[in-house]
Amino acid sequence: MKSRLLRLALLAGLVLGTVSGAAAAAGSKLVVAFLPKSKGNAYFISCKAGAEKAAKELGVELLFDGPTDSNAAKQNEIVENWITLGVDVIAVAAENREGISTALRKAQKQGIKVLTYDADAMPDARSFFVNQATPEGIGHALMDEAARLLNGEGEFAMIVATLTAANQREWQKHIEARLKDKYPKMKLVAVRPCDDLKDKAQSEATAIMSANPNLKLIMSICSPGVPGAAEAVKQAGKTGKVRVIGLGLPNENRRYVKDGVTDSVILWKTEDLGYLTIQAGVALAKDQLKKGATSFKAGSLGTFEIKGDNILLGKPFVFNKANIDQFNF
Amino acid sequence: MKRHFRELSVAGALLAVLAAMAVFAPAFYQPQPLLSLATREAPTLIVACGMAFVIIARQIDISVGSQFSVCGVCAGLLAARGWPLAAVLPASVAIGALLGALNGFLVAGLGLPSIVVTLATMVTLRQGLNLVRQGEFVNLPDGVQWFGLSQTTGQWLLVGFALLVLVVLALALRHLAAGRFVYAIGSDAEAARLAGIRPQRGTFFIFVFMGALVGLAAMLNLVQSPQVQPLTGNGLELKVIAAVVVGGVAISGGRGNLWGAFAGLLLLACVAPALIHLRIEAYWEKAIQGAIILLAVVADGWRSRKAKG
Repeated sequence: MKSRLLRLALLAGLVLGTVSGAAAAAGSKLVVAFLPKSKGNAYFISCKAGAEKAAKELGVELLFDGPTDSNAAKQNEIVENWITLGVDVIAVAAENREGISTALRKAQKQGIKVLTYDADAMPDARSFFVNQATPEGIGHALMDEAARLLNGEGEFAMIVATLTAANQREWQKHIEARLKDKYPKMKLVAVRPCDDLKDKAQSEATAIMSANPNLKLIMSICSPGVPGAAEAVKQAGKTGKVRVIGLGLPNENRRYVKDGVTDSVILWKTEDLGYLTIQAGVALAKDQLKKGATSFKAGSLGTFEIKGDNILLGKPFVFNKANIDQFNF
Repeated sequence: MKRHFRELSVAGALLAVLAAMAVFAPAFYQPQPLLSLATREAPTLIVACGMAFVIIARQIDISVGSQFSVCGVCAGLLAARGWPLAAVLPASVAIGALLGALNGFLVAGLGLPSIVVTLATMVTLRQGLNLVRQGEFVNLPDGVQWFGLSQTTGQWLLVGFALLVLVVLALALRHLAAGRFVYAIGSDAEAARLAGIRPQRGTFFIFVFMGALVGLAAMLNLVQSPQVQPLTGNGLELKVIAAVVVGGVAISGGRGNLWGAFAGLLLLACVAPALIHLRIEAYWEKAIQGAIILLAVVADGWRSRKAKG
């Protein structure tokens, strides 16, 4: 329904364009389509804000649509519609890596430039992946932040989602490597799973603190674990004595960050992710960004490194008491 | 003595674990962490009581975790809209009872097997909630946590209330006619019918009661922290079914009591903190819990064979 309206609008633009020169310029605007995993999700809405900023700066038209829930089939449908509509660029956060790739290959065959962000598709189905954070980047950011808070000394514990999840294992590996290389006076005394449950993380953190009286910090690498650990620290009356950090969303941690229970929440700047994606997409369409490039200048954000076909957003961002109010997702 | 062998053996195992902790990890016995951990188990205890009713009546309800999440999120949203807790509580219980009535209607009214019915409602409710909330937490206003009281008072209140529910329900199950009906339906529905009990109606009300207890438990969970995670009830069904079975309630119905379920719950809940104190890797946690369940089931099987032979 929505896409039909858009098609009509574009058609109207074209017709008017033949009449008036000014409108013709508007009709020849590049059209960039931006697909989130789900359009109601605060995380993607904040990506969209950055995308809109880039579109405005570059003078391109931005289409934003996505499933209302995380639905791979619905994503395909939307891409198909955009192909019919004849957009110039499609940027996708893939819900299902293989699932979306067929539609994306079809788009490429029609001459549409395709890139992915947040979650990648198959490499042959897109030109570039805008990679928000490498496992190494996340691992180092967390470990460095822990060391900064403890002045490089003391016991800490880690809460993970499960002991076997691939991404968690990968992050943990980089955290432990960094610990070994740079912080000999810090000691990891416990690693506990919370099954992605905030309440379980709270129980785990409570027991970890009672078993380790010298514990100085709890680091959670799964997002529900951060508020869970913070609640445990608060209930134990150890605010400030046991620090809490972790990977997570500002909204889930705002209260604890403001109360001084949680020191830092680490993630990337989602707005920058959206901004960089649109900048890269437009550069692709204008042939300013080609395969094999090693760096890319994205408007007001400056230059980003490209590794292979991954455009790297760079170091994760640290949300803390001083800046958390600027972010709403 | 022999009659309560199963319950007593679980209580014995629990005492053995607690004694071992006193010897090997005395730091386990610190009042604040123990009270916090006990408070976290208070909602689970209430759901386990309901589950014992359901299993004694020879049914099962694996949708309790999803019901718990739905009640928790709905209650959280109402509280966030400024409803007083005195109004949120009955609302949460009513929502739970309604979800239970749906299960009860499908099982007792249409005669469908409860494991399939509640599997379906479990998945539907969970996915429905994911669709609506997208995993987003419900942030609660100040004054919801601990009913606005001090933390220690709030925690004692919740633990005390859960224990009160346990005692009342255990006595009702043992001494009230309605309680005895639950056993009658579970041991032999046909005999119960001939004795003048209407097993369908009984089963329906047991599911409604289960749901209402879940709504109550969700409320006890809500007031423990300033936010509700929509996944909050994930895995709760396994936790309470395990506790009930370990506690000597026969999965084939008609036998067991709430004291056993209580001991089973405590035994399983002790595993994770005990491992943390003994510095044993987390990999062992689920394996040990599984072994405890297996042991309980084997003991039941052995006992019933002996009784027949």
